[in-house]
Parts: sequence; C-alpha cells; structure tokens
Amino acid sequence: MRFRHVLWIGVVLAVAVALAFWQVTAPETISAEALPRHAPDVANGEYVYYEGGCSSCHAAPASNKCDDPKTADKKVLAGGRCLRTPFGAFYVPNISSDKQAGIGGWTDLQFVNAMMRGVSPSGQHYYPAFPYTSYQRMTYADALDLRAYLATLPAVATRAPDHDLPFPFGIRRGLGLWKLLYLDHHQFSPDPTKSAEINRGAYIVQGPGHCSECHTSRNLLGGKDESKAFAGAPNPEGRGVIPNITPNENGLGKWTQEDIAYFLETGNDPDFDSVGGAMVKVQENLALLNPEDRNAIAAYLKSLPPLPNAVSKAKVKKPEADAPKEEGEKPDPDAQTEEPKTPY
Amino acid sequence: MNRSLAVAVAVSALLAGSLGAFGEDSVIKQRQKLMKGVGDANKTVGKMVKGTDPYDGDVAAAAMKKISNVPDQYVKLFPKGTSNKDDPETEASPKIWEDMKSFTEKAGKLKAASAKAADAAAQGEDAFKPAFANLTKVCKDCHESFRIEKEKKKE
Repeated sequence: MRFRHVLWIGVVLAVAVALAFWQVTAPETISAEALPRHAPDVANGEYVYYEGGCSSCHAAPASNKCDDPKTADKKVLAGGRCLRTPFGAFYVPNISSDKQAGIGGWTDLQFVNAMMRGVSPSGQHYYPAFPYTSYQRMTYADALDLRAYLATLPAVATRAPDHDLPFPFGIRRGLGLWKLLYLDHHQFSPDPTKSAEINRGAYIVQGPGHCSECHTSRNLLGGKDESKAFAGAPNPEGRGVIPNITPNENGLGKWTQEDIAYFLETGNDPDFDSVGGAMVKVQENLALLNPEDRNAIAAYLKSLPPLPNAVSKAKVKKPEADAPKEEGEKPDPDAQTEEPKTPY
Repeated sequence: MNRSLAVAVAVSALLAGSLGAFGEDSVIKQRQKLMKGVGDANKTVGKMVKGTDPYDGDVAAAAMKKISNVPDQYVKLFPKGTSNKDDPETEASPKIWEDMKSFTEKAGKLKAASAKAADAAAQGEDAFKPAFANLTKVCKDCHESFRIEKEKKKE
C-alpha cells in the first residue's frame, strides 16, 4: 500500500517536472504585431550581408572537404560547411532562396524570428552556433533589408546534412533553458555617454558583425563569459586561439584606431603581417564597408575596457617533450598529443 | 692564476663545442626566422604603400627580392612531426601535411608574386601598389588555410 503511494507521488512529480520543463523551454517569438511595417532596402540588405559575413558560414565550401576554409561562391548560400565544436559537428544549413531546401518560402516574420530569437518556422530552437544572441541586437530594418537581399540570391536545391551531436546536445528543446540564460531579447541601445561613431561601431560589432561569438570565451554551458568580453578565446573549431581585441598590451593596446581600420580594410596588421584563418573572410567582407564604418568599429574596440588574455598558453597542454620521436614508434602522428580541450 | 685561466679556456672550448652541436636552429626556428624576414621586408614596403614612409623603388625592389628567395628554402623545412600538434610554438597547421601539394603551390605563388612585385617596384609607385596588393592576397590565401593563430603575449 505504502509503496503504491510513493510510486504515485513519484509519477506526479515526474509529470510536473516534465510539464515545467516543457513550459520554460517553449520557444519565444516576436509577434506579427511587434514587427514594424518596412519597405525593404535591398542595397542596405547587401551591406548588412557584408557586415554579418553570412557567406563565411553559409556559402558552400570550395572543395568536397566540409571544413575547407575557402568558399566556392560567396553568393551561393547552399550551406554544407561543418563546424566541429566541443559539442559535436554542426552542418551549416542552406539559406539560399530555394523554396524547399532554402529559406525562399519563409515569411518575413519567420525570418526575423530565426535571426533574432533562434526559432525555426516550425517552432524549434536553433543551436547558438547560429549567432542569434548577437543578431537579436539588430534593428528590424536591417534584418528585413537583409531578408530582401537574400531573396535576390540564387536558389540551390541541395540540403545540408543534419547536425551530428552527442547526447544531450541533440535535444533541441533543452536549448530553451540555455536561452533563458543567454538570450535577453534586447535590441541594441546606444550609450548616450559615448560618441555617435563609437555607438555605430558598437552596433556593428555587437549586432550584425557578431564579433563576440568568437572573440569572447565561453563557459561550460557554451554561454559567453561577459566579464571577459572580447578578451580572446580558444578557437572553437580546433587548434589555436582567437585573439584578444580589447586595448590591452596583449590585445590591440598598441594599435591605433587607424591601425585597426587599416587592418580591416587590407588584412595587414601594423607589422604588415597578414590576417589568417577564419578572420580572412571576415576581413574581406568588412573591406567592402564604408571607411567610416571601419573607423567606427575601430573606435568602439579602442573604447573597450582593456582585459588580459582570457586564454593563456599555460592552459594548453604541452606535448610530452621527452617522448621518443622515432618514426616507427608512432604510426599515428595525431595520437602523440592530446588535443587541447576548449573549455566549452 | 695560470691554472684557472687554463680551466676557463677548457670550459669555454667545451661550451663552444656543445653549442656547435646543439645550438643549431630546429626546423621550426628556421621557418620562423625565414618568415620573420618576409614580414620585415613586407613591413618596409607596406609602410611605403600606406604612405607612412616615402616611396623608394630600389628599397622596395630589394625587399621583394628578399621575399622571393624565401619560398624555395621554406618548403624544405616541413618534415613530419613539426606541426602545431607536435609543438605549440609553431603556427604551422597540421593541415599542411594533409595537403602538402596545395601548400607547396601556395609557396610557389609567393615566389612568383614577390618576384613580380620586385619588377614592378622599378616602374614606380603606381605600378608597385597593385603588385603589393596581390602579394598581400597571396599571404592571406596561405595563412587562411595553413596558419594557426598562437596566443600573442608580451613575455
């Protein structure tokens, strides 16, 4: 008799927890009434497309290697690129204008909810590998203009593979909890104590440019550690680091505003060393912006509080220095050192 | 007195000997030195192109020639087991060894682009600027695929 009671209480509790989970993880969306009427400006949409560097992830890789850093054609957004992260492999979706495989069949509202709330047209959560935590800062006008521009790009009918994520990251619903922590639904609001130039830079950096997605380190849950904003991070896609871009001596402290703007324009740093890695595509897109906007980005970065590097070389595991290096002893050269674990 | 002098001589001779044996640069150090040379040459002309320094065709041509001499030596310095996976001091991505053919081709492009820029340098600043822009493109193209960013830290 007693056992039965306990069992019932257990069942009731489990149902209550499940209901509560279901309730708090429900996708939140922007309503049709909240979306302002807007006559789209396709030219501005193209500009936002370069600010955001959409093609860097969404254009098909140049070769049959899904992690080829090169893209085939910047305007063909067929997806298919893989992002190998500590949470598993993400495959970037097709956002071409194709009505079935791409986003050509979406409404403006569906597009805005995808961009700014991370919710798909069928009401599922997107993974934050799609940087909607940054895009939520955008203006509706920029988002809708971007939508109008994307509609002018070619349709591609190929579908990208599904993400390959181990348990529990495969459960999309769980992202509702993550969003409670890291998606605040605030659009960008200018800081009245700062110049118009700095505020313009802040908007591009925090919103469409989504710079913090790589340049800010993350905690174990994959949320950005705002106390270390822009202080650099492990490379989410593997080896190496994403540099500190705060004005610290190990970051951009010695760079002038002009140096930063020149780097974004040409890819040359003050020592005339060239940009590399994933930043190449970012830089090449930012080179297409107006000089004033590159200056604004630079002004904003110079206005950030200087922070020490968030990742330190000391934390990266060194290979065994005394390990024998004879060819015969290591059939798999990859096996001799452990991949340094990114902390997220 | 004489004795200690003799000991000092002997010790320094020993030290010199061991330095000869162990003081040679590793391939990683050699690569880094070569690339540092490329960077310095690039900076010399970069400052001219940017307008920080006045344009000097002879200096620019010499700098570009210096760069064009590097790739042939450089590509020979990539034995197996010298990637960033083996030693975090190097920025050489393991992807180099996955696609050595493409890496070598890109090195060839550096040689060609810098040699071309050296020729253009003699024809004046207007001819040189696009040649230099093309060289930057070659640098970026290789660094995009094959360089891993290390932490930059003042020691």
